[in-house]
Amino acid sequence: MIAFIIRRLLTLIPLLFGITMLVFILMSLAPGDFLTPVRAQRDVPADLIAAIEVEFGLDQPWYVQYVKWLGNVFEGNLGHSWAYKLPVSDLIGQRIFATFLLSLCAFVFSWAIAIPLGVLAAIYKDSIFDRISAGLAYAALSIPEFFLALLLVFFAAQTGWFPMGGATSIEYEYMSWFEQILDRAHHLILPTLALGIGSIASIMRIMRANFLDTIRAGFVTTARAKGQHEFIVMFKHVLRNAINPLVSAFGFAFSGLLSGALMVEIVLQYPGLGQLMYQSILREDQFVVLAAVMMGCTMLVLGNLLADILLAWSDPRIRLEAKK
Amino acid sequence: MGFLVLLAAGCDPVLERPQAVVAAIPTDAKIEAFAVGIHGATVVETIPGDLATLNPLVNESAAGSAAIGRILDSLITLDPETGAVIPNLAKSWDISEDNLQYTFHLRRGVHWSDGQPFTAEDVVFTWGTFFAKERDPVTGEPLRTENGTFQYRYNSRSTFGQMINGQEPLVELLDDYTVRFTTPEVYAPFLLFGGGVELLPKHILQGAFEDGTLMDQWSVDTAIQEPWKIVGLNMFVLESYRPGERIVFKRNPNYWKIDSAGQRLPYVERIITKIVQDVNSSNVAFAQGLTDFESIAPDNVAWVKRGEARFDYTILDMGPSSTTNFIWFNLNPGQRADNQPYVAPHKFAWFNDKRFRQAISYGINREGIIRGVYFNRADILHGYVSPKRKFWYNDQIRKYGFLPDRSRALFAELGFEYRGKDLYDAEGNRVAFALMTNSNNGLRVEMATVFKENMAALGIEVELQFLDFNTIINKTSDSFDYEACMLGLGGGAPDPYAGKDILMSGGRLHFTNPQQAAPSTQWEARIDELMRSIGRHTDVEKRKADFFEVQAIMAEEQPMIFLVSAKDFVGYRNRWENIQPTALGGVTWNLESLWAEVDE
Repeated sequence: MIAFIIRRLLTLIPLLFGITMLVFILMSLAPGDFLTPVRAQRDVPADLIAAIEVEFGLDQPWYVQYVKWLGNVFEGNLGHSWAYKLPVSDLIGQRIFATFLLSLCAFVFSWAIAIPLGVLAAIYKDSIFDRISAGLAYAALSIPEFFLALLLVFFAAQTGWFPMGGATSIEYEYMSWFEQILDRAHHLILPTLALGIGSIASIMRIMRANFLDTIRAGFVTTARAKGQHEFIVMFKHVLRNAINPLVSAFGFAFSGLLSGALMVEIVLQYPGLGQLMYQSILREDQFVVLAAVMMGCTMLVLGNLLADILLAWSDPRIRLEAKK
Repeated sequence: MGFLVLLAAGCDPVLERPQAVVAAIPTDAKIEAFAVGIHGATVVETIPGDLATLNPLVNESAAGSAAIGRILDSLITLDPETGAVIPNLAKSWDISEDNLQYTFHLRRGVHWSDGQPFTAEDVVFTWGTFFAKERDPVTGEPLRTENGTFQYRYNSRSTFGQMINGQEPLVELLDDYTVRFTTPEVYAPFLLFGGGVELLPKHILQGAFEDGTLMDQWSVDTAIQEPWKIVGLNMFVLESYRPGERIVFKRNPNYWKIDSAGQRLPYVERIITKIVQDVNSSNVAFAQGLTDFESIAPDNVAWVKRGEARFDYTILDMGPSSTTNFIWFNLNPGQRADNQPYVAPHKFAWFNDKRFRQAISYGINREGIIRGVYFNRADILHGYVSPKRKFWYNDQIRKYGFLPDRSRALFAELGFEYRGKDLYDAEGNRVAFALMTNSNNGLRVEMATVFKENMAALGIEVELQFLDFNTIINKTSDSFDYEACMLGLGGGAPDPYAGKDILMSGGRLHFTNPQQAAPSTQWEARIDELMRSIGRHTDVEKRKADFFEVQAIMAEEQPMIFLVSAKDFVGYRNRWENIQPTALGGVTWNLESLWAEVDE
């Protein structure tokens, strides 16, 4: 088991090499660089631009910049943001909580609703409930996240029931701690909906399909033949076996915890990592972009690893050790 | 329940703020003559875009400049009516007879927002940060770059922007309240550019200056965790900052202006600035009565105006803005790496002939642009200077009305001929060119479309290219792979010399053909000469005459074909008192004197 985990983590190293190099190449191919907007301004002396180019190493070809950056990373330094003059890790630290909170809310919201719905749709297959939930699921799947977010902004503007963006109200600093919690929760409702509704639909469909597969399995007939109550059959025997594929889906959901909310954050003006990344990409603030990409990649590997471990734990048929 | 814990974890620990020391009202306090008001109101406003830093040596964003401008102050300021340089933290100054020495006399008894006294030491310190040099650790000699210039410790805009012809001005401390600058040669804009420097507190930043971390100071981290460390002389201090959400300013208890009853200003207790995505969302917030002051984009005015009665606000037309929009042709005669010219030779010949450029200018329906694109919320722009800058605006230049017949006459003069409706040059080439502009500016995209139609009416085929802004800057300043371009410029400093990089042939932003070693045409040589004279003469009438000639040459030669200048619109909620808008200062130039009834 430990050997498996170590092997998995070791694959992360070439992966990160490849991805960061790709990012460096792509950013060097993109028109302009961090200083382009400065170059377009009338009152910036040419000497200043030249001096900053040297300071940032922008006068070097991309591979020289890449090797320098790698050297810093091996010393545990992800680099300084050019725009913020702050270590990239500090910058991410400022924003990580807001994004984590939002993603977690959306995660809990979607899974807590999708699994029971999927189970019910499977048990009452072809009933009117199944039809309606299928219809709604297809509708939800076909609306892109950002569009749903736009609709929600419009809804907030029309009704005034929800704030039109942000994570806290302007009075936040002057509230009691209890009001602060309520205020944050109020601001989380719309982004959670925008982020969660799409995954409710997909998780629900997976759950339903697996549940139906399992219902037809031999051990279910055995359980029924033993005269067990239908409720016990469904929730003790079928559900336990049907949930396996969702454990893999859980791994993917985990990997999106820090980077999956980008679109929703931008449209709903939620001050998290997504906004920071988006701004940094537009500005070509290289090291922030790199750190963000590395973080997303690491989370994906960790998420899959977690899913595999969970699977091994929940399903006795799976063994992680390599065959001797 | 777990969520509640998480949510609670997100609430900030209460910051332990040091108590600000409130010093006595300065002996040299400035008395504002407005009607006496009541303290305590809160301003709510929005700002498009977030901060990246509050360090004036690092900042490049508009949002950052706005926030820093609330906190830091300078020796001089501009008169909101006339635009003339007037005293601010310097109560007066003397200029020596040879126009080389500027002696500033500071207001006495002024204190920084944390209660420490403000003296000439702070001015000297601020300038010291610009010109501090990297030194050899052994010999102590200043290090030089490959081309012989000094290596500066802190490369800021001011380091190079405050140099005069490559030389540093000398800064001397005469006594606690007197500081003297000596410029290496006569340099007319010094009072404006040098006096306008935002002053930094020596007692706060000296340590960072010495240990080399000056550029990392006053970052957003400081703003979040220790906002009180950002100390200034202007009317507000930072109270708190939440990235991507809002900036909160609190009244500076040590501000150096008082009202006519002797009460300390400003009246406003707090400013809550919400960070929004763009100008449109900012305008929406104002139109819903959520914010107090707003500048409104010309294409949004119509619908924002609808809420005037309901939300009790006023929108004012402040006349022409200082922004300009223009078209130019690529006049760079150079060659690409593969020995091909940047511009096809026959096209280069057209572009390089001023009659061609004049003909294009006569063919543009600027009134049509104003009606169709701006819904009448713009003015025709005849030349380089916007009519907003009344003092420097030359109205007696050659003007180009919408006269397509003149265009055709000029084309005939050039030997061009029409075959059917299409225009061909003397060698039988179809007259056609590509015009690029940045795709993210909707108004500019529409203007380019009108331009294409105007040119089609003259028999010229224009291919429009809507590109990413970075691509455009790359093409116009590096690869020179383009034929014509449409861009705009914002205000810039209110001195003609601020445009030297655009107007002078060696300038980085001399769009048609930048960074020439020597001026390639007679008229460019003349403009260079006039601009140098504008830099070297302090006599205002002489400078004005020179600048008028620059504008006349630009109008005659049409290297930049100017189109229109949008109008400025500002809005404010009617609850504010002492509002006296001016064209140059907008609504909030006297923010310290504005007051409103406090709700609670």
